[in-house]
Amino acid sequence: MRKLTAFLRRFRVFLVFLILQILALSTYFSIMSYPRTRFFNSSSSIVARMLTWERNVTKYLYLDQENVRLQEVNAELERLLPSNYIPIDTNVSIINDTVRKLTFERIPATVINSSHAFTNNYFTINAGTEKGVERKMGVISNEGVVGIVYDVSKHYAVVKSILTEDINISAIISNSNAYGLIKYSGEDPRNVNLTGISNDIKIEDGIGVVTRGSGGYFPQGIPIGTVEKLEPIEGKPMWDITVKLAQDMRSLRYVYVVKNLLQYEIDELENNIQELKN
Amino acid sequence: MKTILNIFRIILLILAQGLIFGQLSFGYGIHPMVYPLAIVLLPFNAKPVWLMVIAFFIGMSVDFFMNTFGLHASAAVLVAFLRPSIYRAFSPRDDYDIQKEPTAKELGYSWFLKVSSILIVVHHFWFFLLEYLKVSAWKEIIINTLLSSIATLIIFILIQVFFFKKPKSE
Repeated sequence: MRKLTAFLRRFRVFLVFLILQILALSTYFSIMSYPRTRFFNSSSSIVARMLTWERNVTKYLYLDQENVRLQEVNAELERLLPSNYIPIDTNVSIINDTVRKLTFERIPATVINSSHAFTNNYFTINAGTEKGVERKMGVISNEGVVGIVYDVSKHYAVVKSILTEDINISAIISNSNAYGLIKYSGEDPRNVNLTGISNDIKIEDGIGVVTRGSGGYFPQGIPIGTVEKLEPIEGKPMWDITVKLAQDMRSLRYVYVVKNLLQYEIDELENNIQELKN
Repeated sequence: MKTILNIFRIILLILAQGLIFGQLSFGYGIHPMVYPLAIVLLPFNAKPVWLMVIAFFIGMSVDFFMNTFGLHASAAVLVAFLRPSIYRAFSPRDDYDIQKEPTAKELGYSWFLKVSSILIVVHHFWFFLLEYLKVSAWKEIIINTLLSSIATLIIFILIQVFFFKKPKSE
């Protein structure tokens, strides 16, 4: 016993070092296991409040840019106003309002903290459960897909950016309907990779890559980016496709959280697959 | 008095890291970090165990800002663990005067440069190693470590020049 205490005393420093490292690293490597990291991010209120202050100071720097962007979106929306159209033939026009059902709602939010330089990137937005944000909702900007909600507090949410190794967003090449998964290699925040597309499918540079809408996180056809580089993977009948992101993640400021009103129904139905197989 | 000064300094450096340096983006793998300075500047007579505990909390606070879940904490604890032996290796002939603080003004720029550059390189290398965690990314790890270390060292020196006044003549 005395030997043990003597040993512990001698290696006390190293033991404390080990314990603290294990503590830090276990939180780091359990990024995936949700409950343990729950309180460990910037949606915790004090930090989020400070980041909001910081944003309030710096947001004026980007006002010009944002105004131009807003004007563009406005112009586009105004083009859709009924008053801009004249009826061509009143007899055959179909009003299809009642045919469609609203499935996706968009919750506007502002990015208050973000990173893009790491292998796994997260950003914080100023919308939380109070505005109806929930885990696993898709997040898009005007340009395209930016991420999936990872954790929510009352007023804030942390979003797993598209620049995350295991983001796995389902995407299709817009002219072929071939689908694969979006992954991020951690090298260049302008590009992501599209994996799982068989190399007998014809693809050209510059073709759009859009969301597939599987899982119900995103509406179908939201742009992700364009094909920038195309290389066959050695020893596999697959393409290695580099996709240039539509939204430059380095200048991300205003986003929309996509709320799927029918998400519950999709989940319910897809859960049944396993049972139906038996 | 010194304790209060140190606590104040730690909080200031954490805020500087979280609100300013963590938000800047230079690209090319340059990530300047100021918060390791808080560990470098802790008093000479701090016990090794306490150094690590304090470093852990500093790193953890930075993690809160950066959404990095323990990455900064791990690197900070490593720096605090190595600090005593590195300080011992570079100690002056008649050991450190515990009344003095580990700043460039008190112990000279050459001492400060040697000590902090070693700690910075260790910190950044550990940080990016964990960040990438792939053998195939060794090139990125080395480039990021080198460039970020240089940027961090420049910031450390600037802070020394601007914020630490010359000790009053004795």
